[in-house]
Amino acid sequence: MTTSAQPPLEVDPITFEVIKHRLWQINDEQSIAIRTISSSPIVVEGNDFNVGLFSEDGQVTTAGIGSLVHVGTIGDALRSIMRGAGSIRDGDIFLTNDPFLGALHQNDVVLASPLFYGGDIMMWVGNVLHHPDVGGIDEGSFCINARNLYQDPPRYFFKLVDEGELLPELEHTFVTNSRLPDMVALDLRAQIGAINAAKKRLIPLLDERGAPMVRAVMRQSLDLTERRLRDCIRRLPHGSWTGEAWMDGDRVGSERLHRVVVTLKREGDTLHFDFTGSSPQVDAAVNCTYHATVAGAAVPIYTFICQGDIDWNDGVKRCLKVTAPAGTVVNASFPAPVSICTIGFRWLVTVAASQAVAKMLDASADFRDRVCSSWSVSANCNNLFGTTADGKRVGALLSDHRGGGAAARSFADGFSHSGQTTSFSASMANVESQEWKLPLLYLYRKQLPDSGGAGRWRGGLTATVALTPIGVPEMVLKSTNTAGTEQSNAHGIDGGYPGAGSQVRLLRGTDIWKELEQGRVPRTDAEFGGTVEHLPSKASDVLKRGDVLAFFAPGGGGFGDPLDREPARVAHDVTHGWVSRERARDNYSVALKADGSVDDAATTALRDQTRGARKQRPTARWRSDDRCEYPAADTNANGKSAAPWRAAENLNLAADGILHCRRCGEALSGPNGRVAVTERPLAVASPWMALRHRGDGPNFTLQETSCPSCATLFEVRETRRNCAKD
Amino acid sequence: MQVRRTLGVDTGGTFTDLVEIDSQGRLRFDKAFSTPAAPEQGILNALAALAQSAGIDVETLLAQTERFAHGTTVSTNALIQRRGARVGLIATAGFEDTLIIARGPVGRAGGLPQSKAMDFLHTEPPPPLVPKTMVRGVTERVVAEGTVLVALNEIEARAAIMDLVAAGAESLAVCLLWSFRNPIHERRMREIAAAVAPKLPISLSCEIAPRMGEFERTVTTVVNAFIGPVTERYIGSLQSELAKRGLTRPVQVMKSSGSVMLPEAVAHQAVAVVNSGPIGGLVAARHIGAALGYGKIITADMGGTSFDVGLIVDGVFEEEASPFLDQGLPVHVPTVKVVTIGAGGGSIAWSDGYRLQVGPQSAGAEPGPACYGRGGAEPTVADALVVLGIIDPTTFFGGRYRLDPQKAHDAIATRIAALLGLDPLNAAAGIYEVVTAKMADLIRKVTVESGHDPREFCLLSYGGAGGAHCVDFAAQLGIRRVIVPYAAPVFSALGVALSDIAYRHVRSAPALLEGPTAVATANAVFAELSERAQADMRASGIDPGVVTMRYGFEMRYVGQMNEIPLAWPSGRIAAADLVAMRTAFETLYQQRYGAGTFRRETPLEIISFRAEAVAETAKPRFSALFEGKRPVAAPPRQRKVYMRKSGWIDTAVYAYDALMPERPFHGPAIVERESTTVWLPPGARATLDVYGNLAIEPGQ
Repeated sequence: MTTSAQPPLEVDPITFEVIKHRLWQINDEQSIAIRTISSSPIVVEGNDFNVGLFSEDGQVTTAGIGSLVHVGTIGDALRSIMRGAGSIRDGDIFLTNDPFLGALHQNDVVLASPLFYGGDIMMWVGNVLHHPDVGGIDEGSFCINARNLYQDPPRYFFKLVDEGELLPELEHTFVTNSRLPDMVALDLRAQIGAINAAKKRLIPLLDERGAPMVRAVMRQSLDLTERRLRDCIRRLPHGSWTGEAWMDGDRVGSERLHRVVVTLKREGDTLHFDFTGSSPQVDAAVNCTYHATVAGAAVPIYTFICQGDIDWNDGVKRCLKVTAPAGTVVNASFPAPVSICTIGFRWLVTVAASQAVAKMLDASADFRDRVCSSWSVSANCNNLFGTTADGKRVGALLSDHRGGGAAARSFADGFSHSGQTTSFSASMANVESQEWKLPLLYLYRKQLPDSGGAGRWRGGLTATVALTPIGVPEMVLKSTNTAGTEQSNAHGIDGGYPGAGSQVRLLRGTDIWKELEQGRVPRTDAEFGGTVEHLPSKASDVLKRGDVLAFFAPGGGGFGDPLDREPARVAHDVTHGWVSRERARDNYSVALKADGSVDDAATTALRDQTRGARKQRPTARWRSDDRCEYPAADTNANGKSAAPWRAAENLNLAADGILHCRRCGEALSGPNGRVAVTERPLAVASPWMALRHRGDGPNFTLQETSCPSCATLFEVRETRRNCAKD
Repeated sequence: MQVRRTLGVDTGGTFTDLVEIDSQGRLRFDKAFSTPAAPEQGILNALAALAQSAGIDVETLLAQTERFAHGTTVSTNALIQRRGARVGLIATAGFEDTLIIARGPVGRAGGLPQSKAMDFLHTEPPPPLVPKTMVRGVTERVVAEGTVLVALNEIEARAAIMDLVAAGAESLAVCLLWSFRNPIHERRMREIAAAVAPKLPISLSCEIAPRMGEFERTVTTVVNAFIGPVTERYIGSLQSELAKRGLTRPVQVMKSSGSVMLPEAVAHQAVAVVNSGPIGGLVAARHIGAALGYGKIITADMGGTSFDVGLIVDGVFEEEASPFLDQGLPVHVPTVKVVTIGAGGGSIAWSDGYRLQVGPQSAGAEPGPACYGRGGAEPTVADALVVLGIIDPTTFFGGRYRLDPQKAHDAIATRIAALLGLDPLNAAAGIYEVVTAKMADLIRKVTVESGHDPREFCLLSYGGAGGAHCVDFAAQLGIRRVIVPYAAPVFSALGVALSDIAYRHVRSAPALLEGPTAVATANAVFAELSERAQADMRASGIDPGVVTMRYGFEMRYVGQMNEIPLAWPSGRIAAADLVAMRTAFETLYQQRYGAGTFRRETPLEIISFRAEAVAETAKPRFSALFEGKRPVAAPPRQRKVYMRKSGWIDTAVYAYDALMPERPFHGPAIVERESTTVWLPPGARATLDVYGNLAIEPGQ
C-alpha cells in the first residue's frame, strides 16, 4: 500500500467512485438483458458474450464480466465501425462480425451504437455475443473443413438499426444465413434490447452530472486501471519467461503440428509478449488475428493480476506490448480462414501466455500466491446437429468441456471442473436440459480419476461424458478440439506433471441398446462393446444409432515435485477416487494399506527408491529459455544482490547469476552446473495422455529435469521429439 | 371478553425479537439477546420480558395466544456451519458425481459477490454437503419424455441403502434423472428404504423440488436431508417447551416464500426455512404499506454488515425460482427475492491511494467500528457518521454505548484521508456519499430490472443503520415518500406475525404452448399440484373452508434458460386461453426488456406449473398509538452536521419519543431513537403519524 498522497486526479475520488459505480451498474443491465432474452445456451450457460461502454474515441471504459477475450477485442471492432461507417446518426446500431475488423471470429457478432447527447456523440454503447450458427461449411460455424476465408461463414458489416428503425431486410439476411434462425433472431433482439436498456439509463446520469463530468470519469477509469496495473508490474522481478502450446491437428484430415511460443519480458512498467517463433499461418480456420492474439495474451493479466480488483477496461492494454509477426498463426493475414480462432490459436495464445505469466509470478516475492500454470487449456467443443422425427432441425454446441480442470496453485490443489478463466461463469448445462433440447441420451457424466497432474499440489480433475443419439437415426458431429490428443498442453510447474489431455473417442456399433434393454447401463468402453476410435483434434463424423460419443476436456497441471506431497493427502485422494492406487504408487511413490491408509514404511522405501533412480539419470548442462534477473529493488550499488533470490519453488538465483538447488545448494547452471535429465513416455504423467498412440506419441515425450544431488524435480515438460530447440 | 393474542418471534444473530398483537390491534414488542446454543432460551427470555411489561405472567400470555409464528435461523446456521445430518445420497448410476462436478464453476463461484468470484485463485469451493464417499449409484433410467428406459435394479438399490447406513448415514436423499417427469423409481426407493431402514428420514427429489435440472434438484434434496432432522428436532423441542408453559397452539414456521407452515410439514419442507430471515420484513412492509395506501413498495433493510432490498408491487413479492442459499448451493425453492450488497454500518472503508471504496468487508460486531473503542482500527460507515455529526456518540443506543469520536476521526484520517490527500472531514463525507450512492444504484438496479420506475414507489426503511442514508438515496432516486415504520426495530418479527399459512407446489412439465399437449398437461398438473397443496393443509389441520387456491406457470421462448412467472386465475386452462397466455407473456416480457424485444414467430414453452393453497391469517387493524394521549413535545436540541456540498449546517435534533404526531418538521434535522438515527437532509419534510410511523418527503 502506498503511504504518501498521490498527485490529485482530475475528478475527486469520491465523485469518481460514485459515477464509476453507476456506469458499471448501467453496463451490467446490458448483461442482464442479454442473458434473459437470449435462447442460446452458449450465451446463457457459456457466458460467451460481453458488454461495454466506450469513450467517444472507441476505448472500452467499462467492460462487463462476460467473456474476457471480448474485452480485448470489442474496442478494436468499434473503432473499425467508426472508421468504416457511411453515416453515424442518433439511434443507429451497427453490426459487424468481421474478424478482420476486430470480431474474434465470425460467430462473435458485435453491435454498437453511438449515444448522442446535446447533438454530439458523447460515448458508445455496445456488446458482442457468440451466435450459435452464422453459416459457413460446418454446423456451428467452427469451420473445420474450411481452407480459405470464402469457405468460412460470411462476414457482415452494416447498419442494423437506422435512426431507431430496425431494417428488416438486413435482419432477414443475417438470420437466413444461419442454420438456427430462431436462436440467432432472439440473440439479435437481446443485443438490441441491451443497448436500448443501457442508453435509457445513461441519459438521466448525463442530465444529473453533465457530459463533461461523465466523460472525465470514463477517461479517468482508463488512467486508473493503467496506473494500478503498472504499480503491480513494477513489483515483479526483471527477466524473461517463455510459454509454449502445440496444436495437433488443424482441420479435418490434417494432423500437422503447429505451435505458439511466447517470450514474456518485463520492460520497465510494461509487459512485452513476444510471439516470434510461432508457426506460419495455415490453410485452416484455426488462425488467430492480431486483435485476438492481444486479447488472448491479456487473459492471464486480467485473471491473475487484475483479478476482481483492477477494473477491466482498455487501460490494461496500455501496459502490454504484443509482438506477433505477420503471416503466422498468431497474426494471420487476409484472407486466411479464422472461424475457429477463439478456440483455435487464440486459445493456445492464452495457454502459452498463462504459462509464461505463471513462471514470472513464481519468481516474484509478492505474487507467488497467484501462480497457476494452466487452466482449461483446450476447448473440446463438440457440435451435434440432427433432424428430429417431426422434421425439426436441432443442434447445439455441447457444454461438457467446461468440466475441465485448472492447475495446482503454490499453496493448494487446483480446482476440479474449474470452468474457464476467459469466462468465469461459463458453466456446464444440466444433463436434463441437454436431453430436453437435443435427441441425446447421456450414459454417464463423471469425474475422471488420475486426470489432475501429479505434484506437491495436485492439478484439478476433468469430467468425462458418454452419450448416444436417441429417437433419431443419426446426428452429425463436428468435433473442434483445440488440441491435446497427443501432448496435453496442461502444463504443470516446478516439477508438477501435466494434466490429462483433451480427447474425443467414438465407440462405433456398440451393444448399448441391447444392454439397456437387459437392464444394464454400461460404464466402461469394454462394457459398451463396439470398436473404439480415438478422433484427431478436428473431426467431422456421423453418430449413428448405437454409436457412443465419449470425451473429456483437459485436467490441470501439478505444482512442485509429487514426492513432496504429504502421503496422507494422496491417501485421501485415493479414498475419494481422484487418484488410483496404481498412480499413487507410480506418480507419488506412496504405498497404501488394504484399508486405504498410508503404509509409512513402504512409502519411505518407495520414495527413497524413486529418488535413487532419479540420481542415476544422465546429467547435462542447464538449459532453459527462462531467465530471471534480480528485481531492481534488491540490487545494491554494485548491481549485485546480496541475498540469493528465489527464482522458482526449488531454485535460488545467486549473486553471480548461477542457479542453485534450493534444497541442497547444488550448483545447477554456470560452468560447473549440471542437472539430471531424462525423457519418458507421455503416459507417465497420466493414463489419459495420447490415447490415440497408446500413451507414447510419435511427436512428444515427457522431459524431466531434477537435481543430480538431492533428486528434487525442477521441471516436467512435454517436449517435441527429435526437434532441435529453437 | 377473553384477550386473544398473536405472537411473532424472530431469532436473529444478535437479538431475538418478539412482537405481540392483541385482538384490539395493540402492538407491543420486546427483545432479548439470542442464545445460539439453545435458541429456545432466547425466546423464553423475550417472552418473559414482554409479559412483564404487559403486566402478566408468561403462562397467561401463552395461554391467550391464538397464533404463534416463528422465524428461525437454526436451519440456515446448520447449513452454513455444516452441522446437519450425515447424508447418504442415491443417484442414477453414472451420475453419482453431479453434486461435486457442480456444473463446473457454479459450485465454486455461484452465489458469490463478483469481486470474490473473480479472485480466481483464492476463492475455495465450499465444503461438500455429501462427501463423495457417501454417494451411491443405482442402475435405472427414465428418459426426457418420462418413460422408463431401464427399470430400477432393486437389488442394487437395497444394497446401496444398507451400505450407506453402514457408513453412518443419518438421513437419505434420493435424486434420479427425470424423476420430476416420472417419479416411479424414487417412490420405489422410499419403499425399499422403509423396509431396509425404517427409521431413516428420506428426502425424494420428486417431492422436494420436482423441477428440471438435476444439479439444482440434487442440491435442494440434499439440503433438505441435511437440515431436516435438525430443524424438526428444534421445532419439536420449542413446541414442547412452550406447551409446558401453556401454549396450546402449534408453532408456525416462517419460510423463504413469505408464508408460514405448520410443524407437520417441517420434515419435508425444511429447505424452505433456510434464509427466511430477511423475508419477514417484506411481509411487514406489505402490510404496513397497504394500510397506508401504497401499492408499490421498495424495502430497504440496512444492518451492520449488509443492505437488503426487496420489491412489492400490488401486494405481490418479486420472486426467484432458483436462488443460491449459499456459495455454490442453488436450490429449486421459489423464494421472495431480496438482493443484498455488503454495505452496512460496519462496512469498512478503504483506499489504495487512488480510490475510496466502502465494503464489502465489515468490521462486524467484534471488533466493530473504530469508534466502538474495542480495538477496531479500520474506519467504517458508522465512524464516518460520527465524524459528520449524524450519530451522537453520547446518545448512541440510548446512551448505553459511549462512542469514541477521536478514534473514528483518527481511523479516517490515517487510513483514508492521508492516502487520498483529503482532509478527514471530507474523507468522512466521501465515505457517506460512496456508500449511499451504492445503495441508490442497487435500488435502481432492482426496480429497473423488473421494468419499474423507482419514482413510483414508496420506500420502507428499517434496520438499525438505514435511517442515516434512506432519505438521501431516496432523493437521488426521485422517490417521493419514505416511511420509517414504528415497528422498525422488530420488523421481521412483525412480518412473521402477519404471515399467512401457505403450501406451494411447483413441478416442471414442459410443453409447447401452442403444441398438442399443453392444455391436457396443464390441467392434469394443476390438478395434481392442487391436491398436494390441499393435502398439506389437511395434514396441518386447517379447515378446507378457509383455504383459497392460487395458480401460475412459468413460460419462456423455446430454448431460453430463464422463465417468466405468470399468475393464472384458475387451475384450468381451455384451448381458447392460449392466445391470452401468449399475450400476457409478451406484455410482461416487453415491460421488462423493452418494446420490440418479443418475437411472435418464436414458439413458447411452458416449463413449470404451480399451485398454492393459502389460509389467510387474521390481520389486526393497528390501533392508533397516540389517540387521546399525545406526548408532550420537547424542543429540539441543536448540533452541526457536515456534508460536502453544504459544509457544516445547524441541525435540529429530535427525540423520537418526544415527537408530536401529525406536526411536520423540516430538514436539516435528525430524529434519534434508541435503535436508529434518521437523517433528514435540507429540503426533506417529515411527519410522525398516529401509528408512530415517520413519513418523509425527501425533497428535490
